[in-house]
Amino acid sequence: MNYHFGKGRSRLTPYLLLIPGLFFYILIVLGPSLATSVFSFTDTTGIKGSVIHWIGFANYKEFLFMGNASHDNLAVLGRTLKFCFYVTTIQFVLGLIAALLVNKKLKGTAFFRTLYFMPVILGVVIQGLMWSLFLYPLGGPVSKILEFFHLQSGFFGGQPSEAFACVIAVQIWANMGITMVIFISGLQTIPDELVEAAKIDGANSWQVFHHITWPLLTPSVNTNLLLNVIGSLQAWQLFMVLLGYRNETQVLGYLIYAQGFGQTSGSVTSSFRQGYAAAASIVLFLIVLVIGLSVQHFLQCREERILG
Amino acid sequence: MNILANSKFNKKNGNPPHIKKINLENFGPYIILIVLALAYLGPIFMLVNTSLKTQTAFMRDAASLTTTFEIKNFSEAWEKANFSKYLTNSLLYTFAATFIYLITSVFIAFPIARNYVKGSKQLYTLYIIALFLPTGLIPLFQLILHLGLYNTPIGYILLFLVNPMGIMILVNYIKSIPVEIDEAAAIDGCGYFQFVIQIIFPLIKPALATVTILHAIRIWNDLELATIYLTNQNFYPITRGLIVFRGVYGSNWPMLAAATLMLTIPMLILYLFLQRYIVSGLVSGTIK
Repeated sequence: MNYHFGKGRSRLTPYLLLIPGLFFYILIVLGPSLATSVFSFTDTTGIKGSVIHWIGFANYKEFLFMGNASHDNLAVLGRTLKFCFYVTTIQFVLGLIAALLVNKKLKGTAFFRTLYFMPVILGVVIQGLMWSLFLYPLGGPVSKILEFFHLQSGFFGGQPSEAFACVIAVQIWANMGITMVIFISGLQTIPDELVEAAKIDGANSWQVFHHITWPLLTPSVNTNLLLNVIGSLQAWQLFMVLLGYRNETQVLGYLIYAQGFGQTSGSVTSSFRQGYAAAASIVLFLIVLVIGLSVQHFLQCREERILG
Repeated sequence: MNILANSKFNKKNGNPPHIKKINLENFGPYIILIVLALAYLGPIFMLVNTSLKTQTAFMRDAASLTTTFEIKNFSEAWEKANFSKYLTNSLLYTFAATFIYLITSVFIAFPIARNYVKGSKQLYTLYIIALFLPTGLIPLFQLILHLGLYNTPIGYILLFLVNPMGIMILVNYIKSIPVEIDEAAAIDGCGYFQFVIQIIFPLIKPALATVTILHAIRIWNDLELATIYLTNQNFYPITRGLIVFRGVYGSNWPMLAAATLMLTIPMLILYLFLQRYIVSGLVSGTIK
């Protein structure tokens, strides 16, 4: 560490200039994050001046084991995992197909790539409103198509399972572009000569994919799987925009928000169970950690098997 | 514009013999690409179509093509939704927070990349750890509340002054800039602050562009924090404003579609012009 800009007191300049950013980081990210576990052992409500009690593991016990509420909570956990599973797998497969096709040297592929990535910039509010309209149940376009097949659905206003499935679809629609772009960057690292050589040797498209593309895509497969798993476990904002806090559709992220801040607004005048919400955030964190690490482990073993 | 190129292809495909590029082998891929594209074009098309309808026409047949051009949906939505206020707020939040974030981040990333402060490795690790920690949603709320910043623009901006991912992008980029520049500048009598502002900032423009976009779009599209921290309508950003507007005029889809479209179009234009930076910014943002 050769510092060139003076000695003595002026040596302190980089430290001083670094302080504001570091201060914000500790204040906004690091501190609150670490404090979450402490809060989870209290009955804090977030109301100014109210007394806070240390209640040990009561929040966790209540969340996981007590009465009907815990029964619902376990259903929420299950639903979160289900959401994660469907979003991850479908988004992975669609993103891979889209990347493989867009990466072909065909006319117009730039247009498709641009189009598929588009929702990512729009954000949950516009994504949500667009789909509420597109899935308008009273004679909207999708509704008409279903009608043609003698089917009908209330979509976001229909049965909880239907509404839930629709949110899964929108979530995939919204983020598939990211998966695709990561796969494309992986595909571009595969040398053309390799594929050409295999074709000359008589390999068909499937064989090329199976023996060359897929193994060499391993890094982007890993990135995408981890990203999708972790991202979809934490996702909940589309639920807020599309469904609101509706029974039998909630996921864990939304439950934390609803318990901590009330269902529709952050008004501090009524009482909210922020200690309980903090405990739920720790539960979510542990789930993300365990699943994330298992996926990571699985991917590493797989990588060693394929490339090692 | 590329849609045209595409439909041209379809016509060409009708009389293929003299066109080499398009053969039967490519037919399958195009079918899949187009079917997938419908899921992306459909909602946008429906939004445009609905925004031009009258309310009665929409009630009668939601999916039919519009026969009118109700431009008045747009002007009405603009006024009733109080959009100018919300847009001003969103622009203010996005500019202020991104600006402060960029300046403070470079002053962290630069000494880390150059190893100019003691413990720079540990400092960097501290930022990487943040990517794995639980969200501090609840304690952060109480902190802002007790600082008296709840329901204030300053409190809301404060929430967006940190983004560890941006630091990593900056550190990696600065590492690719040769140290000799530092030495030369120092010999010429350039101070540390002046050097970072005048020499480093221009040199790391591509990384700054990526980080700016990553951060600015996150703020622009935020709904979660705006819902938690802002209750005064005068402070709402556009996302929250649009949700409020839906709450009031949700049954009038043509007007709601016009409102949504007015916010979608600027983003799409921005996206088409800055696509390269936007894609890299957003993708690196998710690798969190």
